Amino acid sequence: MKVLASYSIKGGVGKTTAATNLAWLAAAEGRRVLLWDLDPQGGATFLFRVAPKVKGGGKALVDGKLDLLDAVKASDFDHLDLLPADFSYRHMDLWLDSQRRPTKRLGSLLDSMQEEYDLVIMDCAPSVSLTSENIVRAADLILAPVQPSPLSMRTLDQLATFADDTKGRTPPILAFLSMVDRRRKLHRDLADAVPTGRVELARTVIPAAAAVEQMGLRRAPVVQWAPRSTAGRAYASLWREVADRVK
Amino acid sequence: MAGEFSVDDDPAAATLHRVTEVLPAGPARIEAARRVWLDTPDWNLFRAGLLLEQRTAGSERRLLLCGLDGTVLCQAPAPRRTITNATLPEGPLRDKILPLLDIRALLPRLEAEGSTAQVAVLDEVEKTVARVTVDGPFLAVGASAPVSQVRVETLRGYDKEAKQVGAKLAALAGLRPARGSVFAALAATAGVQPGRHRAKPEPTFTATTPALTAFAQTLGQLEEITRDNLAGTLAELDTEFLHDLRVAVRRGRSVLKMAGGVYDEATLTRYGAELKWIGDATSNARDLDVNLLDFGAGLDATDVAAIGPYRALLERRCRRAHSTLNRVLRSERFTTLLTNWQADLGHPTAGGELATTPISTVAHNLLDRAWTRVGKRGRAITVDSPADDLHDLRKRCKERRYLLEFFAGLYDKAVYKAFLDELKRLQDNLGAFQDAEAQWFLVRECAEELRATAPIDTLLAMGRLAHDLRLRQEHEHDVFAATWARFYDKANRARFAAMVAGT
Repeated sequence: MKVLASYSIKGGVGKTTAATNLAWLAAAEGRRVLLWDLDPQGGATFLFRVAPKVKGGGKALVDGKLDLLDAVKASDFDHLDLLPADFSYRHMDLWLDSQRRPTKRLGSLLDSMQEEYDLVIMDCAPSVSLTSENIVRAADLILAPVQPSPLSMRTLDQLATFADDTKGRTPPILAFLSMVDRRRKLHRDLADAVPTGRVELARTVIPAAAAVEQMGLRRAPVVQWAPRSTAGRAYASLWREVADRVK
Repeated sequence: MAGEFSVDDDPAAATLHRVTEVLPAGPARIEAARRVWLDTPDWNLFRAGLLLEQRTAGSERRLLLCGLDGTVLCQAPAPRRTITNATLPEGPLRDKILPLLDIRALLPRLEAEGSTAQVAVLDEVEKTVARVTVDGPFLAVGASAPVSQVRVETLRGYDKEAKQVGAKLAALAGLRPARGSVFAALAATAGVQPGRHRAKPEPTFTATTPALTAFAQTLGQLEEITRDNLAGTLAELDTEFLHDLRVAVRRGRSVLKMAGGVYDEATLTRYGAELKWIGDATSNARDLDVNLLDFGAGLDATDVAAIGPYRALLERRCRRAHSTLNRVLRSERFTTLLTNWQADLGHPTAGGELATTPISTVAHNLLDRAWTRVGKRGRAITVDSPADDLHDLRKRCKERRYLLEFFAGLYDKAVYKAFLDELKRLQDNLGAFQDAEAQWFLVRECAEELRATAPIDTLLAMGRLAHDLRLRQEHEHDVFAATWARFYDKANRARFAAMVAGT
């Protein structure tokens, strides 16, 4: 089982759309995929039409009183399951802090899913926190969306520093340009200036596209209902790059 | 799964209509489909609780790996019309089943054509909370009656909803709980028995059964097993078809050797010669199969690469050997042998003077004699004994094993098993000894042939291989004394005596 984290310190850069589309593409290949929506806002949970609720709350999961598998919900798609968000996840750091190995807790919870899934994708909330440390320690690969904006690029460097500073093995970081509008000069200029010294930059660029925005209305990944759209093809291309790294 | 229902005489469209009338369902996905369930000849996947289905709908071909209840575990596009071990698409599906296939070929075991409709049962936000599949009518190849079933698929985290759907369907007239999956129902109509594979006879005689009846039952089944493996051997689907055919013939020969007085002498002489002929005809192809299956074992990567020309030579020889064997298996003599085998040995009209003797009496005498023969040969072997002595003992042990298996039903199961385990241990030792020697001779013979054309690295690697084989053979010879002592010790002899005395 491989663990992929869709993570960025900055919000609104395309983490959830990447996580949901890649999860669908991986499942369509026959991989057994679990998408864990760790963001209390529950964007991925909403997109898959699942109720944003974990029986007993997130604390029961972290404390081990509720089996992860018992909280899992099937999506509408074969081989793709969802561990839904719960608004109580906003207290995740407090629960983790009371564990014996606070920075490894999420990873050890996922160990129980080894037999069930080939790939776990964590859709993470934008923050630098104990939860983030857990994510870094659990992940085999961090997928970091980067918007072509100075602030977003700055956070990519912060992410690399944070990953380096976190205890244990540092997972590779694959950054990709997200929500890019090639008509805008600033985007074109910044897209060519992504700092790649400490992270790898994917060849694929995810465009800013109306189809991506429509995901919220259709409540399904764009790769499912518009696989040949520009965005659909871009996510497919990104998945090919990611798949090579999470074999 | 929350429910599987059989449909009583209802057209598929009507069933689908009735289902969607009582459930909040999305649009139906209907497809005409050809379904082929694939498994090994000995049902390795089924026995592991799996069904592998190739489903063709229009131009789309998919492979679905399911549980025995039909729940899809994983799926993948099928790259070709004919799926074999080699053409399974890369991915989790292949990763899961390839180890289960082992060296056996994936073959079509059940085929059916018909239509499938699937609907998603939706909740208030149009989330799928269960799936209902209307399978059918499907007609299996070889069946006369079609099968229609309705299945409720439970989705993880939505057990309660699936149960509610199942309850609603159970209340519909014309639907009744099914006895098994659609696969099970189709298999039943086609006369296919999933999981059923017979590699050795399964006699049902008792201690008082007349000897001729017991021998005839066993030899009749051996002919059927030989026939079951004939097409696969001819087509070289996998190496185990020839193995099973050869073993059936050898068992037949061993049983015949022990049948003095049970059949008339003329029959024994004739079939003894015919089974020897066919047994000998299979030897070369089987030996080369074994060599190629184990090829490279114990060699390091450099030697495996260097030894390529040797492998190529073995492959050429193996192809030739199979071609020669196939000519024998297609010959009139073999066809006649099979035809008459069943009549003369499986359903004899008369026998010898022991024909009506209870089989337990005959078994006791035969096993006693076989035990004496094995004991005599084994005790005579010393560290200086030539290889032929060990080969001879191996043959006697094999005969003894076949006899034991033949008469297994007459003895206490636990004692029989304990005794057989000891015999197997001895056979493993003797088998490894002979395999090493046979391979050594083959390496030497092939080196002679390759001497003028192969690179020097190949010949050097073959030299190292021959050396390793010699060491292996010497090791097996060294451990023989201890293995024999364990087999022929007081406790095991007492075990044998108790086993036979119990009949």
